[in-house]
Amino acid sequence: MKKFLATLLAIVSVLALSACGKDDGLTMWCIATKSDSNRHSYEAAIADMQKKYPDTKLNWEAYENNAYKEKIKAAVSGNNMPDIFFTWSCAFLGDFVKEDKVYCLDEVYAEFKDKLPEKMCKNTTYNGKKYGVPLTMNIVGLFANMDILKEVGYDDVPKTFEDLMTCCEKIKAAGKIPFGCAGKPDDTWCVTEYLESIIEKSVGAKTLDDIFMNGQTWDNQDVAKAVDLFQDMIKKGYFDPNGISLGNDEVKQNFMDGKYAFYMNGTWNCADFAKKEGLNVKVAEFPVINADKAELGQLIGGPSDTLAVAKSAKNAKETAKYTFELGQLICKYGYLDGCGLPAWTVDYDVSKINALTQSVAKIVTDSNYMVLFGDTAMPAAEAGKYLEQVKGVYGCTVDGATFIANLKKDIR
Amino acid sequence: MKRKKTDGITIFLFLLPALLLFVAILVAPLISSGFNSFFKWNGIGNKEFLGWKNYKSLFDKSQIPFWHSVRNAMLLAGLSVFIQLPLALFLALLLGRGIKGERFFLSVNFLPVLISTVVIGQLWLKIFHPEGLVNALLLKIGYLKDPLNVPQWLGEGKGLLLYSCFIPMLWQYVGYHMLLMYAGVKSVPTELREAAKIDGATDAQVDWHIVIPSMKQIIKVSVIFAVTGSLKSYDLIAIIAGINSNEAAVPSTLLKRHMSLRMEYGLGSAIAVLLIILCFACSIAIGAIFKERD
Repeated sequence: MKKFLATLLAIVSVLALSACGKDDGLTMWCIATKSDSNRHSYEAAIADMQKKYPDTKLNWEAYENNAYKEKIKAAVSGNNMPDIFFTWSCAFLGDFVKEDKVYCLDEVYAEFKDKLPEKMCKNTTYNGKKYGVPLTMNIVGLFANMDILKEVGYDDVPKTFEDLMTCCEKIKAAGKIPFGCAGKPDDTWCVTEYLESIIEKSVGAKTLDDIFMNGQTWDNQDVAKAVDLFQDMIKKGYFDPNGISLGNDEVKQNFMDGKYAFYMNGTWNCADFAKKEGLNVKVAEFPVINADKAELGQLIGGPSDTLAVAKSAKNAKETAKYTFELGQLICKYGYLDGCGLPAWTVDYDVSKINALTQSVAKIVTDSNYMVLFGDTAMPAAEAGKYLEQVKGVYGCTVDGATFIANLKKDIR
Repeated sequence: MKRKKTDGITIFLFLLPALLLFVAILVAPLISSGFNSFFKWNGIGNKEFLGWKNYKSLFDKSQIPFWHSVRNAMLLAGLSVFIQLPLALFLALLLGRGIKGERFFLSVNFLPVLISTVVIGQLWLKIFHPEGLVNALLLKIGYLKDPLNVPQWLGEGKGLLLYSCFIPMLWQYVGYHMLLMYAGVKSVPTELREAAKIDGATDAQVDWHIVIPSMKQIIKVSVIFAVTGSLKSYDLIAIIAGINSNEAAVPSTLLKRHMSLRMEYGLGSAIAVLLIILCFACSIAIGAIFKERD
């Protein structure tokens, strides 16, 4: 009996082990967790792909943002990558490309170039080669609560910087808070949404892009002036003084509850604002501060959410084709859900998309230059140092001159 | 002789699994951290040998607030030893006297230890929120006049964030130390207490002259736990202040920031090595202090 049981156990073990090595379709890792606003677009896209390719099973897993960053880096380091993986563009994917772990998509892109404009692949192109399939894209928008603006005599979002400042004074005089911005140390990215827009509209998109992406020095007096201008707005009381203690979710909720007149943040918020009953919101581009150097149509944002294919993927070329098709569908459903703007050409009915997202689409269509979010554009270590200084600016412990001096010393 | 040899092999075989686990889980990562601390490495690419540069940068406060984080951890350790432990001892002595509802109060004081740190963190975030309980109370009693100008308990750089993290940490673990000390109090023989009472000693005198000296080893263990726990503190600070906070930074949040967020594995490893050395040094120092007292 004992011998029989031992033999049975051995057989079961061998079968179990052999099952581990069985080819069981494609694997994909992403960050579309169940609470993520993009979850539905992933589910819908994958369902469509399963219908189209019933023989190709996609085993996908989603992880929380920060945990994912560690997991994917560990997988790359240990040569244990999934076939398809979510990534952020620029420096994040760049590190993997540098290690030769990512499949080059140039050959397969040729089949999709009519649907995916070349400029949308800019942030995932390294040494002239494409490595990423962009999904949706987002920009920073100036969201305005029109009910509060009407109270102080405005029917539309101020178009010039001077008018915006006058509007802020009136809002303050009316006992309301003009801007809400989260300042908790882990939410410093919210401050960059303001600061980067102010810098861009002061020094021009090209200059800022060169600093973020092309190795130009931070030692730029116009940047220092822009930082001081942002701090003046804080010192004048245009920002919620409690913001320094609040996280982004709380600030966003305050804006939705009518506590602030303006909220500058990513356009991924459009769906939530559009859904909120009784909230009358318009979105606009941040006005130009220095017309000699900047102009309307220069935005902060661009395609960053990306799918990439591991070089170790099973049948990498076919997997790449599958990834392009999947990416296109995720983009479509994400846009229809109001979670972002399409990186891919739109060839479907968009009339049901909320008005706010459509306004953002118009702003993007009219744009001429997009500078990617600073903390996404830079490598992780540099981004950390940059956010450190931004935090100091919002807390008014670092002024413009110190900001550029510290970043010149720490980064360039 | 042969029997002795066989016994030795048997003992070795029985110890082997535990030894392997110890080496794999503790010794190997320690050696790996020590090795990585001499390199510049982003976790995936090639390693670049830096020598002692990572350690040197930890000593340069303009680069990394490491010593500030150590100072914060030592401050927490000090508060734990001089506020948390005396409070725990007081509660343990009080409950050890067999007061009415002893078990109930024991459970109530131990409850915060059982609650998830995430829940505790969220709870205190609400309490210290600009429109939360603390500021509401200060406004109510008239200490604060302007609701638009209230203390920013959770705001970086306002001088309060560190204490907003420490208060819940001290509060949460009072019950833990109380339970340890309560066991010590209960282990004192009843005859000793009764004899002292017959000689006319008050409850306080019994505690001071008989109970506390009898539980010296437990107090030593509590002090070691409190100090090393403070040096390793992470979770509540990460929840309340965030791992990017400099004001409330402790070595573990700094380690997480550099290793996970900034992908500076070499620097993170150097912080880990110094943190381990610091914990060992503190444990040895505490042991020595108690030994000297003996």
